[in-house]
Amino acid sequence: MALFKAPLEDIKYLTNEFIDTSKLSDVPTFSDMTPDLTDAIYDEAANITANLLFPLNRTGDEQGCTLIDGAVTTPDGFKEAYKEMTSGGWGSFTCDPEFGGQGLPHYIANSVDEMVVSGNISFSIYMGLTIGAYNAIHKFGAEELKQQYLPNMVSGKWSGTMCLTEPQCGTDLGLIRSNAIPQEDGSYQITGSKIFISAGEHDLTENIIHLVLARTPGAPEGIKGISLFLVPKINLNKDGSLGSDNNVVCSGIEHKMGIKASATCAMEFENSTGYLIGDLNKGMKAMFVMMNSARIHVGIQGLALAHASYSSAVDYAKERLQGRSITGTKQPDKPADSLIVHPDIRRMLMTMKSYTEGSRALSTWLSLQLDISHHASDKHVRKEADELISLLTPVLKAFLTDIGEEVTSLGIQVYGGHGYIRENGVEQYLRDARICQLYEGANGIQALDLVGRKLPTHLGRSLRHFFHPVSNFIEKNQSNPELAPFVLPLAKSFGRLQNATLFIAQKGLSNPDEAGAASTDYLRLMGLVAMAYMWAQMAEQAHAKTGNMTETFYNNKIKTGLFFMQKVLPQTSSLLSTIMAGSTSLMALDADQF
Amino acid sequence: MKIETVAVIGAGVMGSGIAAQIANAGKKVLLLDIVPEGASNKNIIAQSAIQKLLKVKPAALMHKRNAKLITAGNLEDNLNNLANVDWIIEVIVERLDIKQSLYKKIDAVRKPGSIVSSNTSTLPLADLTAGLSKEFSQDFLITHFFNPPRYMRLLEVVQGPNTRQDAVDSIADFCDLELGKGIVNCNDTPGFIANRIGAYWMQTAMLETLRLGLTVDEADAICGRPMGIPKTGVFGLMDLVGIDLMPHILASMVHSLPKSDAFHEQAVMPDVVTNMIKAGYTGRKGKGGFYRLNKSSGKKIKESVNLTTGDYATSQKARLKSLKPAIAKDLRKLVSFDDKGGQFAWSVLAKTLTYSAGLIPEIGNNIEAIDRAMKLGYNWKYGPFELIDKLGVDWFVEKLEADNITIPPLLASAKGKSFYRFKDNQRQCLNLNGEYETLLRGDGVILLEDIKRNQQPVKSNASASLWDIGDGVLCLEFHSKMNSIDPDILTMVGKAIKIIPNNYKALVLYNEAENYSVGANIGLALFAANVAAWPQIEDMVKSGQDTYKALKHAPFPVVGAPSGMALGGGCESLLHCDAIQAHAESYIGLVEVGVGLIPGWGGSKEMLTRWMTNRKRPQGPMPAISKAFELISTATVSTSAAEAKGHLFMAATDGITMNRERLLFDAKTKALELSMDYHTPETPEISLPGATARTALNLAVTGFVQSGKATEYDGVIADQLALILSGDDTDIAELHSEDDLLTLERKAFMALIKQNSTLDRVQHMLETGKPLRN
Repeated sequence: MALFKAPLEDIKYLTNEFIDTSKLSDVPTFSDMTPDLTDAIYDEAANITANLLFPLNRTGDEQGCTLIDGAVTTPDGFKEAYKEMTSGGWGSFTCDPEFGGQGLPHYIANSVDEMVVSGNISFSIYMGLTIGAYNAIHKFGAEELKQQYLPNMVSGKWSGTMCLTEPQCGTDLGLIRSNAIPQEDGSYQITGSKIFISAGEHDLTENIIHLVLARTPGAPEGIKGISLFLVPKINLNKDGSLGSDNNVVCSGIEHKMGIKASATCAMEFENSTGYLIGDLNKGMKAMFVMMNSARIHVGIQGLALAHASYSSAVDYAKERLQGRSITGTKQPDKPADSLIVHPDIRRMLMTMKSYTEGSRALSTWLSLQLDISHHASDKHVRKEADELISLLTPVLKAFLTDIGEEVTSLGIQVYGGHGYIRENGVEQYLRDARICQLYEGANGIQALDLVGRKLPTHLGRSLRHFFHPVSNFIEKNQSNPELAPFVLPLAKSFGRLQNATLFIAQKGLSNPDEAGAASTDYLRLMGLVAMAYMWAQMAEQAHAKTGNMTETFYNNKIKTGLFFMQKVLPQTSSLLSTIMAGSTSLMALDADQF
Repeated sequence: MKIETVAVIGAGVMGSGIAAQIANAGKKVLLLDIVPEGASNKNIIAQSAIQKLLKVKPAALMHKRNAKLITAGNLEDNLNNLANVDWIIEVIVERLDIKQSLYKKIDAVRKPGSIVSSNTSTLPLADLTAGLSKEFSQDFLITHFFNPPRYMRLLEVVQGPNTRQDAVDSIADFCDLELGKGIVNCNDTPGFIANRIGAYWMQTAMLETLRLGLTVDEADAICGRPMGIPKTGVFGLMDLVGIDLMPHILASMVHSLPKSDAFHEQAVMPDVVTNMIKAGYTGRKGKGGFYRLNKSSGKKIKESVNLTTGDYATSQKARLKSLKPAIAKDLRKLVSFDDKGGQFAWSVLAKTLTYSAGLIPEIGNNIEAIDRAMKLGYNWKYGPFELIDKLGVDWFVEKLEADNITIPPLLASAKGKSFYRFKDNQRQCLNLNGEYETLLRGDGVILLEDIKRNQQPVKSNASASLWDIGDGVLCLEFHSKMNSIDPDILTMVGKAIKIIPNNYKALVLYNEAENYSVGANIGLALFAANVAAWPQIEDMVKSGQDTYKALKHAPFPVVGAPSGMALGGGCESLLHCDAIQAHAESYIGLVEVGVGLIPGWGGSKEMLTRWMTNRKRPQGPMPAISKAFELISTATVSTSAAEAKGHLFMAATDGITMNRERLLFDAKTKALELSMDYHTPETPEISLPGATARTALNLAVTGFVQSGKATEYDGVIADQLALILSGDDTDIAELHSEDDLLTLERKAFMALIKQNSTLDRVQHMLETGKPLRN
């Protein structure tokens, strides 16, 4: 059976010891965040996830959502759980206290988020979308709109959506056709069809606040003519109470491979009243601002499902008796030894463990950068953090969601044939994890964003904020014999990353196909090096043992990290070879030769 | 007759500018003007003109000491001095009576056989010589310079029926070889060639802008790169030359051209422009012109005039569809494009090109001379007939016919042909009989452009090529973006060093881009620095050092032949040559500190060694070290080849060529001379004082930092430079080899490239083209 076991120890270590929060020390709302308090938050999050959300995970998957006469019904128990989660304030961690939020840092919110997602990703989507919509309105909305809508979104009374995709346009949002006709009172009438709208319609809240990308008459062609509008499902009266229906109709829900309890809706807007968010024709700007945090969030989904699969697999590998150890019987009192005695099972478990813990370190560290980029007092520090985030966001999104797929697949493998059986609950993780590689910008798009946009910007300046610290770390520790098993492989793979970067920078100038062909391999190479950098730093701290974790915990970290360095990181060698081979063989066939 | 002494009469902007260029050629020149009423100092006009020459920007003098070659005088006391002068140039007010009365005075004193010329742009030669002695008319011609005389390469020469051919030849030779001018012989017709077509074109562009309702920004954007005119465009050009000149030119043309001439149709001055001139908006020399800089808000905001209302508003970037590269880069597409930009381009070109074609044979019977005049005098990229060839004669004629525009006979006779063609490796041009004539370069002119058309390179890669320029000499041409030095260029230098010893005699570094080289390609280095690829960067530095060192020690002579900018790594390539033959307009310097670095490809080493071994240097190493330190730490760029000699970027024995077209020939000649008895240069070992010198140099910089003239980071860079130049950890007893100095260069370079402030400087330079003062 699948089980939920929160990675509490690891989360506490990462937020209390691993990351350096000193750049945030003068942020007033963060100053209360002592380890005592954050540990209590994590404990409670683990508790509520285990008892409230996880039990609804498989039932929700089996039951799915239903659409009758435009009304979507969520699986049994979701309504009650939603009420409990929102009344407990679990959805409003990072929101502005002015609108009822708690003003907490992302690195804490994202750690809680990981637990919630690994307990029940479908459920988490309803709450996550609201935060996305909240962020856009909070950053770009007019004051009046903020006062009208944000308090109820922060409290969870109303939920939110992001309506981007249309049948003819997914990645290429310049093709959007939905239109917005200006009205005399300053509002707009929105008409159009949107698809793949998560939480577009459901029975959890009394109102749904849609953020819709649409085009006004005479707007410039393509991406430069897109504007963002707030369109409520139910209009508000002057006093803020719910008024008339706004002609926002759910015309269908998708039948999907995974995240079945999350309603993925086709939405029809017909002369629905909307309000401009941000400047006219600057809708994409608002989208881009949202993108970093939304993409980091999806990366964390990959991590969360990897963890869910891993903790179930560990449990199964210890419980399930099958065969004898090849070095001699380990459990003579049992009919067979546990699976965990077998080297190949170890290979799978260690791969899952080292990826998962490495991902967690990476996402916690990057979440911290998000907070620094928003709140640090020195504007240069903010700018550097922002450039670092913009560089590593596509890496985190794609690499962690690829890991999500790989680890959840290994999880099934550990279970053997039983992993393929629905009742055992682990095949759901793979199906759920698969969406993370697709939405919020498919992973191929992330790779193109990295090599096509992030690398060349300011002749590689954002690279500096990652490469220089890694280079300095290597230089500082290269003569430390204790750390040599970490620093040497890190230095080697870092050298590969440097060479690949210069290769792409040079080749990509003369032939953009070269950069495109290398992009996915390059992104993974950078992800692996970033993760190795995390592991090397964790090893440095574990050797120093200056923190408050147990000796066992630190030893565990060193051993897991060594596995990563020796058994996972060498992938960088083959990735470099693939990149250096260039694009020729990849582009050799004419389209009609396929 | 060889011209040795010259007099210029009239010390206005043109007269003094011409005198300056003659002084730049190393010739003595007498500058005369009238005595102002009641003046106590009778030479005041000419004297103040010489003072102004020392200050004017862009500089009229190639070296300040050239001012000493100009002697100021006045027409009351010094008329007799004209008796010793070979060539007298009259550059006074455009009034026939005044000019003629001056000529009579000149004729009375000048020596027999001396030559007299006028710089007139509006008066016919026939009128100027009317009533004067036969001898005078035999020795008289028009030499029409363009402003500013140092920089504008066109010289229009008009001779009368009586003018001695040998007088014309003497002047043409002098102006070509000594003043660097491109000579175009013109008929005695109003405005000669360049102003006749140029003024017509400017008027047409202005009136068509108004008619079609373009903004001045839009018109200039279309006129600029798409039509091959400098990016100032037509309104920017009028601001530069002075809008108030236009009514004078128009009046003179209207006065002298027959009523049937199409010029009259375009000779209208819009009221808005007339009012602008009245209000002092005469261009850059006035309160502004079609463009002005508004500084009222504390910032400099570029504004453009609205041609309908005369009001100024912030300049808006032109956003016409016809300006999209796919259209603007294809002249046919541009003139056929149906927006006001395309209509404007067509209308201006159709009128200007048919007008030009219609002027033959009136203003001259040589098509190529007309194209040359427009290219050298108005900086057009293509002359009118080259533009017609770009459109295609038949295509152009057909489109003109469709618009019911009369086809000039010359154009009609060219149907089915082009004005230029290449046949049997020869460039040929159509003559008036409809036959092609081969265009030959003059003696002493070799152009790479011709060589490249006729042969395959000996070796070539993306950034550089080796060409066989005959007589055993190879030419290394850079052709990377902005001729920045990159690994491909270094590779090609290496190839030349390998090939030449067994197959050739000598190497010339030369190219025909606007600038010899703007420096090393620091984009690659920046990217490598951003990813902390330090060993790779050190390799890049080392490979540049090794390549240039190998060039210096190669067993054959190497002559560097720069023109335009030769900066940073480009300058360092020259510093490793055996000799330099530079175009007079060469701007040489080590500007690395501007991007937070020091010269690391042997530039610091060479400058130090050159100053240390300079025979003129006073005792002790400090003055030499300080001089090298000063030149590099202030990123000094010489403003001419003459100045580069003073900085020791060039040696006293290096050559200077005034005429751009003669540069390669002169460089090749020098290379062959050197190859007669060639020895690889010895590299002296030098002793350096070490830490005390570093301290002394730093002390000097501290003052600049404290007074705000240098930033703190400038001080950090200067300290790394001081490290090299002082010899680092050494004392005066120790000798330093070339390699020791190169090691110090690398050490300093690597220390700087790791600093964020350096990387910010590099990035800023690459993104904005301007240095960052951080």
